[in-house]
Amino acid sequence: MENPPVINHKKISSLGLFPIVTLVCFLSAIVIGLISTWTQAFGYMPSIGFNHFSVIHWIRLFSYPGFNSSLIATMISGIGATLLAFIFTFFLFAFSYHNQFWRLLDQALAPLLAVPHAAFAIGFLFLAAPSGWVLRLLSPGLTGFVVPPDWSLMKDAYGISLMLVMVLKEIPFLILMSLGALGRIDVRRSLAVGRSLGYETVQVWIKIILPQLYPKIRLALFAVLAYSLSVVDLALLVGPTAPPTMAVQVFRWFNDPDFEYRLLGAAGATLILLLVVSSIGLLYLLEAGVKLIFRSWLINGQRRSRFFLFSTLSNFLVLALVGVSIGVILVLLVWSFTWRWQFPDFLPATWSTQFWRNGVLQIGGPIWNTISTGITASFLAVILVIGCLENEILMLKRGLKTNTTKILWLIYLPLLIPQIAFLFGVQVTLVILRLDGIWLSLVWSHLLFVLPYVFLSLGPIYRSYDQRITDVAVTLCRSPWQAFLKVKLPMLMRPVLFSAAIGFSVSVAQYLPTLFIGAGRFDTITTEAVNLASGSDRRIVSVYALFQLLTPLMVFLSALFIPRFYFRQRKGMQI
Amino acid sequence: MNTMLKILVLSLMTLGSVAVHADEWPAITKKARGQTIYFNAWGGSSRVNNYIRWAATEVKQKYGVVVKHVKITDIGDVVNRLLAEKSAHRTSGGSVDLMWINGENFKAMKKNQLLSGPFTEKLPNYRFVDTENKPTVLFDFTTPVDHMEAPWGMAQLVFMVDTARVTWHPSGMKQLLKFAKEHPGRVTYPAPPSFHGTTFIKQALLELATDRTPLYQAVALADFNRVTAPLWEFLDELRPYMWRKGKTFTHGAPEMKQLLNDGEIFISLSFNPNDASNAIANGELPDTVRTYVHESGTIGNTHFVGIPFNSNAKEGAMVFANYLMSPMAQLHKAKPSIWGDPTVLAVDKLNAKDRIMFNKLPLGIATLSPAALGKVLLEPDSSWVDALEKAWLRRYHK
Repeated sequence: MENPPVINHKKISSLGLFPIVTLVCFLSAIVIGLISTWTQAFGYMPSIGFNHFSVIHWIRLFSYPGFNSSLIATMISGIGATLLAFIFTFFLFAFSYHNQFWRLLDQALAPLLAVPHAAFAIGFLFLAAPSGWVLRLLSPGLTGFVVPPDWSLMKDAYGISLMLVMVLKEIPFLILMSLGALGRIDVRRSLAVGRSLGYETVQVWIKIILPQLYPKIRLALFAVLAYSLSVVDLALLVGPTAPPTMAVQVFRWFNDPDFEYRLLGAAGATLILLLVVSSIGLLYLLEAGVKLIFRSWLINGQRRSRFFLFSTLSNFLVLALVGVSIGVILVLLVWSFTWRWQFPDFLPATWSTQFWRNGVLQIGGPIWNTISTGITASFLAVILVIGCLENEILMLKRGLKTNTTKILWLIYLPLLIPQIAFLFGVQVTLVILRLDGIWLSLVWSHLLFVLPYVFLSLGPIYRSYDQRITDVAVTLCRSPWQAFLKVKLPMLMRPVLFSAAIGFSVSVAQYLPTLFIGAGRFDTITTEAVNLASGSDRRIVSVYALFQLLTPLMVFLSALFIPRFYFRQRKGMQI
Repeated sequence: MNTMLKILVLSLMTLGSVAVHADEWPAITKKARGQTIYFNAWGGSSRVNNYIRWAATEVKQKYGVVVKHVKITDIGDVVNRLLAEKSAHRTSGGSVDLMWINGENFKAMKKNQLLSGPFTEKLPNYRFVDTENKPTVLFDFTTPVDHMEAPWGMAQLVFMVDTARVTWHPSGMKQLLKFAKEHPGRVTYPAPPSFHGTTFIKQALLELATDRTPLYQAVALADFNRVTAPLWEFLDELRPYMWRKGKTFTHGAPEMKQLLNDGEIFISLSFNPNDASNAIANGELPDTVRTYVHESGTIGNTHFVGIPFNSNAKEGAMVFANYLMSPMAQLHKAKPSIWGDPTVLAVDKLNAKDRIMFNKLPLGIATLSPAALGKVLLEPDSSWVDALEKAWLRRYHK
């Protein structure tokens, strides 16, 4: 006779390893990196002759020229971008969910997510700068400009253009995260019940669904916050310059040939971390405040409102979001085929395919590095995530309350701690261990950032899978493995592939880890694009930005089409 | 005078050492065969990248050395990585074999003993280097090179103006102010501490200072405020007439080139006298752009390649450095259609065939003749860089 508990027991022990391996992998890097950065921030770095702890670098930091403006620009762009992206996301759900504009957004979501931040910023700059495409369209006919006006549209001192770019880029991410979370809130039934009670749709969204949704995407929001406060490549492209944001400033200090600046950089990096932590605290306070103020309003029973007036605005926002993204891609395309294009011509005077021809010839190595690293990292991430989630299910089944969910939030640490605050420390450690500049370390460093996103996007859907289906399958084929491979995995194929695609695009976008952990030896499309952006030949930069955009896009499209093909004969699995 | 003496002594030492070490060369090339070197160099210009790719193919064929170009945005980052390796006591098997450096980065590496020691006297092609008339190949931003880096190319600050948009161009900093007032919002300079930004500030200081002598001593010895007062007066007066009213700056010359093409600004600057011609040739700038220099001369310097202390393939790195200095590689590099980077060699030291080739190099449409390029000003003592950058930040980072 079969003895199921034995099989189960074996499975637990192996599955139980997943959360442990996953956490050790991650915590070690962060703990080592942070400790290294913190000791340096307090002036301790014996290798360059600083043997005593001191606060002098903090004093230098606070008295550095332009410190206050730099901090203000960082906060405006970072916190502003997070709050606006969040408000707009909820706005879109409340007013446009499932109308014809939403369908447009739904179709555009994968491409929107696939566009890497740097490529988006480069294109946005080409679009919205005073010499950008928009003004080229209007000039000289409507504006009379024969030379671009001297307007501070981009790189403004307060970081507003930086904020705008991040808002546009983060909305699709928050929408995706919300869509995942909505799977666990029965939207359709909530709407039906709400409406049957006489509430208009918008009211149901605002009063019933969004309050449930917020706690489920809080973490994603914090990740956006940490990212926005510490981003370097975007801030270099569209951020303020004199002074730049804190993250750019810190990046420069770390790169200064005068090694003493490294300690200043460590203090700055720690300050950014403090900024992130206190901003998260601020968001919690805001949340509590909003709850307190709106509690009575939520239950006042009022069914109708003038909110519907906003729906036009919301629909317009969808159009703007999709429109700007299409504009970004188009302007990159046009520039990539340009030979000469001067203001105020609407289109290039001379075209050329030279930059594509050269690009295609030279892109081989970087594409290979990008794809091999991205695929490996996202594949490992998916395996680790599924292992952790299966372990969770098994624990639950056996009534064990080890609370893996509570421990696993540590996985999200790489998203909440600014890269700049610990990567330099990790680099130093890898150098000591002689593990820098090798491919496996590079994959590991990418995994650090890929895994949380895979967890974030796969977790909710995976957890909402009806485990009884697997139970039935096990009774039919007697093998948990078979049941998993033949029933559960195919049923979850769509979200699994989609989260792998997200993981891949996260890997593609990594700039600092590729540079520091890979010792600069692995040029990816992103490092090439950012490198060439420093040379500012728009035509070449456009070619690379488009490559940078196409690679994850292909993966996203495969994630959409593989299940469609696989399930072509299964009606129930088609969308 | 002191500097000239030093140069003389060093040149003599160079001549002597070449004779001593020349016999080492066959052993070096033998050991280099089969080595792979990681050449860390700025990767922002596809023209430069293409040139490096070409040179890599050549040394692969000729010497069996594989060169991998590690493209970087800021060489300071590499200096930092080497520091990390040094602090981890990694004295061999380092991640960098050869790097493109000069100025402050070289000074920092020399000071922290991150270089592998003198090597250029072992390179056969070093004897062609113009150590007599190009003092900057021996003094990198006034830091003695001491054979620890191999000269690769020459640079001189030049300005570019779009003659289609304006009728005249300035011939000095005071005139630049007049120009800016006439064309408000169309003049800017990159923000220090970026390389080009700091150079612009130094150029302005050299032009405006009433007495240049203190600039060639350590900054501590000079009365910084008195010497730099005319500079700040000039920059303060310029600021309201600058692009974006002087509230936003560019990152460097490449960005300014793009702005010049857009017509956002009317004057750009470059460290490569052939830059304008190149940019016209490949469609980056309109053919109405012309190069000019300031009457009192402009700052010139040399860029080098250096070998880190823990290079994994020192022989391969030397072979590549030697090849980069060869008449053939220097000639190819100097062609306006390739890169247009001026040579570090003394043309009259070359054989007749090479000399003719160099003399036949075409002068681009917007390139000044050597005579028109005028006087080369030496970089101020490198201690001024940090002091100037800090003072600039205090004034304009607000």
